[in-house]
Amino acid sequence: MAAIAGVSITTPKIFASASVRSPKPSPIKLSLLNSPWKSCTTHLRMYVRPVAAAPDKLSDKVEESIKNAQEACSEDPVSGECVAAWDEVEELSAAASHAKDKNKDSDPLENYCKDNPETDECRTYDN
Amino acid sequence: MAVSTVYTVQIQSLNSISTPSKSHLGFNQLLYSSGKKTRRATHISCSADNDKTVVIGLAADSGCGKSTFMRRLTSVFGGAAEPPKGGNPDSNTLISDMTTVICLDDYHSLDRNGRKEKGVTALDPKANDFDLMYEQVKAVKEGIAVDKPIYNHVTGLIDPPELIKPPKIFVIEGLHPMYDARVRELLDFSIYLDISPEVKFAWKIQRDMAERGHSLESIKASIEARKPDFDAYIDPQKQYADAVIEVLPTQLIPDDEGKVLRVRLIMKEGVKYFNPVYLFDEGSTISWVPCGRKLTCSYPGIKFAYGPETYFGHEVSVLEMDGQFDRLDELIYVESHLSNISTKFYGEVTQQMLKHADFPGSNNGTGLFQTIVGLKIRDLYEQIVASKVAAPLEATKA
Repeated sequence: MAAIAGVSITTPKIFASASVRSPKPSPIKLSLLNSPWKSCTTHLRMYVRPVAAAPDKLSDKVEESIKNAQEACSEDPVSGECVAAWDEVEELSAAASHAKDKNKDSDPLENYCKDNPETDECRTYDN
Repeated sequence: MAVSTVYTVQIQSLNSISTPSKSHLGFNQLLYSSGKKTRRATHISCSADNDKTVVIGLAADSGCGKSTFMRRLTSVFGGAAEPPKGGNPDSNTLISDMTTVICLDDYHSLDRNGRKEKGVTALDPKANDFDLMYEQVKAVKEGIAVDKPIYNHVTGLIDPPELIKPPKIFVIEGLHPMYDARVRELLDFSIYLDISPEVKFAWKIQRDMAERGHSLESIKASIEARKPDFDAYIDPQKQYADAVIEVLPTQLIPDDEGKVLRVRLIMKEGVKYFNPVYLFDEGSTISWVPCGRKLTCSYPGIKFAYGPETYFGHEVSVLEMDGQFDRLDELIYVESHLSNISTKFYGEVTQQMLKHADFPGSNNGTGLFQTIVGLKIRDLYEQIVASKVAAPLEATKA
């Protein structure tokens, strides 16, 4: 049940970010028309891209939150809003650095092989 | 005791098979006739047997689940800890064979917008639901799976819950593991990571300067704005911790970049199942510079100290390391002189440090003491399990 819930949460995100890149969907649609059996593999490729987008979004969020915090604090440096704004900056900076670390050491082949060790590309010959 | 539980689960699961078979077939026959069901039944009985989970609390500022300490700890038990497969990709939870690490940020009662409206930080207890935290940690400790909410750090919203099954070792990491007295009672062992302001500033500069929008002033302002809440709500937790890892700037050389660190492992005396690490002679005050004739160290060298102290009114033993490891033989030399480190074989600490040589702190006291604490927790867990097995045996004898 948890797995199904997970799928329904993630798919809207993927479609949302796919729609942002407007030039991409048209070539995919054409190939789908010509060879409908290829629809599975193209969707796999679609799924891979949004993961790389997260850090940029996060970096923008960090920048935005710093500006907000500086504005909030220019009015009243001791208020709750000022403190909460800087706390938000801290939270977003931490999330951004975690995301960067995660992307830094993710090797696409290793990630694929972790989930599919029986495929040809991932076979290891130990003996 | 393990055998008897298999039988009881057996009988429950064999509802479809007629019960008269029980009377004239032996118990062995029952096992064979159920075939695959036997294996599944034994699997269920294993988790029901260890129905109490060992709960560890770790208090650390703005770092959750993916932090280095957690990875070192889970590595001591074996296996890599990973986010739950097939679940929310922004989940903060890490699961390995023996451990599950959850982030206490998941118990925020106010999401980012809510905190902005009310003008509270995440450090403030008002932003956290301690009742839910207590209920769920208690349930997991007793062997009941819970649906724990997820706090999404990217969006700042509270996502639908994920299922947490009781593991053998349950680690709760976050800002307030020891804040609530009821949750504190549930912890079998607690650790507080105390970073001094200078080191915190240096680390945050390293982390954030590459980020667009950040400058030295913004980093400083961020730390200072959070300081009052931090001092009021987070810092007092260190008096309750069984082990405190204090990270300070070095005293060996003038260093304001926070590259060389002085790390103190403060261990409370009299904690059940926990024997503090010591150097040479337990209870004495020792000052040790390992570099000399047998070991040549590179600049700035290594300096150790050990001794009894009082910390917030408790008796503690403090083991301190100042400096950096440069070579493998320095590490193994130091390890061979430490006592009570609960290793299973000579060189285990060195092996663990080398396994994660790319982690931050692998060349100084932070990595060393985190690894040692991980080994102590493993020792604590094994002692608790051994005592649970011994207790019913005692009961049957009596």
